[in-house]
Amino acid sequence: MTALALPDKALATAVRQLPDNSLADNRKAALARFLERGFPTTRLEDWKYTDLADVADISQRWLENGAPMPSAAAIGERIAEIRGAIDIDWIVIENGAITTGMAESAKTGLSVATFSELAHVPGFDHPLADLNAALLPDGLHIRVGANTTHERPLGLLIVDGADSQPGVAQARISIELEEGAEAQFVEYHTSIGEADHYANSVVEMSLAAGATANYVRIQGRDRHHTQTHRTAIRLEASSTLRYSGFDLGGRLIRNDLDIDIAGKEASALVGGLYIAGDGQHIDNHIRIDHRVGPARSAQEYRGVLGGHCRCVWNGKALVQAGADGTDAEQSNHNLLLSERAEIDAKPELEIYADEVKCSHGTTVGQLDDAALFYLRSRGLDEQDAKRALTRAFGASIVSHAPIAIAAEHLAAIVERRLSSLTDGEDA
Amino acid sequence: MLEIKDLKASTGDTPILNGLSLSVQAGEVHAIMGPNGSGKSTLAQVIAGHEDYAVTAGSVTYKGKDLLELEPEERAREGIFLGFQYPVEIPGVNNAYLLKAALNAKRKHHGQDEIDAFEFLKLAKEKMAVLGMDPKFLNRGVNEGFSGGEKKRNEILQMAMLEPELAILDETDSGLDIDALKAVAQGVNALRSPERAIILVTHYQRLLDYVEPDVVHVLSGGRILRSGDKSLALELEEKGYDWIREAANA
Repeated sequence: MTALALPDKALATAVRQLPDNSLADNRKAALARFLERGFPTTRLEDWKYTDLADVADISQRWLENGAPMPSAAAIGERIAEIRGAIDIDWIVIENGAITTGMAESAKTGLSVATFSELAHVPGFDHPLADLNAALLPDGLHIRVGANTTHERPLGLLIVDGADSQPGVAQARISIELEEGAEAQFVEYHTSIGEADHYANSVVEMSLAAGATANYVRIQGRDRHHTQTHRTAIRLEASSTLRYSGFDLGGRLIRNDLDIDIAGKEASALVGGLYIAGDGQHIDNHIRIDHRVGPARSAQEYRGVLGGHCRCVWNGKALVQAGADGTDAEQSNHNLLLSERAEIDAKPELEIYADEVKCSHGTTVGQLDDAALFYLRSRGLDEQDAKRALTRAFGASIVSHAPIAIAAEHLAAIVERRLSSLTDGEDA
Repeated sequence: MLEIKDLKASTGDTPILNGLSLSVQAGEVHAIMGPNGSGKSTLAQVIAGHEDYAVTAGSVTYKGKDLLELEPEERAREGIFLGFQYPVEIPGVNNAYLLKAALNAKRKHHGQDEIDAFEFLKLAKEKMAVLGMDPKFLNRGVNEGFSGGEKKRNEILQMAMLEPELAILDETDSGLDIDALKAVAQGVNALRSPERAIILVTHYQRLLDYVEPDVVHVLSGGRILRSGDKSLALELEEKGYDWIREAANA
């Protein structure tokens, strides 16, 4: 047994309790793979700063209780809140179960089905993806037909709640954009409830030749809940991905974004903003694998950190032999509002091709004193001046979110979150 | 309006102002001239309340109040405006936001309601037209990517909007072409009134051709060496600063 394993028998019982559908055999196989390795530990370079002991502990306690489906009384209100905030069609995944929205989204012209309906079997060989596949009741599959354009974004709401007992939930979404298809997605993570909760989600997306996806991920989990989230995206020739991720909540959050550039002239523009206050740990790992060239990728991430918190940013661009004509940029800027805030920022370039254009830049700093004095000299009080400068720091990422309706909502929630940092509630 | 007595100020361990006294009445325009490093900018920053400068002796009284007791923002709301020598670029905070927030902070301080959006826009466009500024500057980040001349015009725009009682313009004329200089001068002259005072900190007499000062002071070594009328500025232009230092030492 490794340091972060879960008890075999209890886990096997939990797997057996799940609905008997076409995923059953795959669950057993995934369980066997997970049991071999357990959770990733801090001994692994990629997990050096993020300790999943807490996540293992919540899972253990959940298993000891007989692995019940978590629940929270106010979950319906939360769903209504999000629907009200962003007026689009939503498919709701509630504590891992796809509950509503399938029919509505079908009207949009997208093909939406569960994994079990399609006999689709999730793959993806990573311990967390294996754990997800082992405990997954069912997954959501979305297909965007060739040469169709969907202007109206589809919302994917992953909502979890645990009122009284520790909860664990899996969510999995698979999106397939066929040749020349164009679609927009808003993936929203939220949670409620007083009990501990661990959400483990996986999103896989593939863009066939010439496809375009605009994607916004918003994570606003409860401040004592935890999540590991893996996103794997494959880009074929001349496809375009615009992806923005926003992390505002959660206690322990780890996001992995893996992008596979498999076709020439593909373009992946990814960015994000993480905002952490007292007691939060937010880790973003991005890996872009340039297997062929010419192709372009850009990573633009910013972080605002207050109180006693820790954030991790690791952005990697790997340019494989022969991927000539690759253009890969990375930038990561961090604003530290407190002396107890910690950021581990690491841009990585690994290049095996000859003709490439790669750049990276990382900064960590405080608010600019000269700008602060300038604003105060115009009559703004210190708090307002700090708020304006902090908001300005995040504004470029918010305004670059590739879906307008999501950007509007983000502008409001980001401002509220930043105000709680600058106004000292989280200091 | 402004009474400075035996002011000493330093940054770090370096004394910069060494017993400076200055009295400015409402309705007056004062020019403070002097060579580089004489303490001109420090004086401007101390009046505005910059924390990098520590006042070690002396007093500054503004409208009967102890100015040194006030935070920078309180000074601004009480009617003091500093036009910066090097206006800061603040990407992401737009000009309209700053102008409105500044105006409302002052109005609130004086018990007035916030300005409504329509009135604000009308006022801003009016002032911008006078200064020859494109209204699209309102939606740009504060001084973001502005040329030197645009930054200085933007300072004058803020001044025109805030209508300060005491305006200190720190080398607002430096690096301006003749059109920008005239626009700045026009902005300053428009503000002249019996209730207001203006202090022009400048290295050259050029601006004074367009804004006629009532009093000219020569600052050197952190003290005022000589004060006179506008002819003093012309004399300095002709003879340079050494002349005045020699005269002071004699």
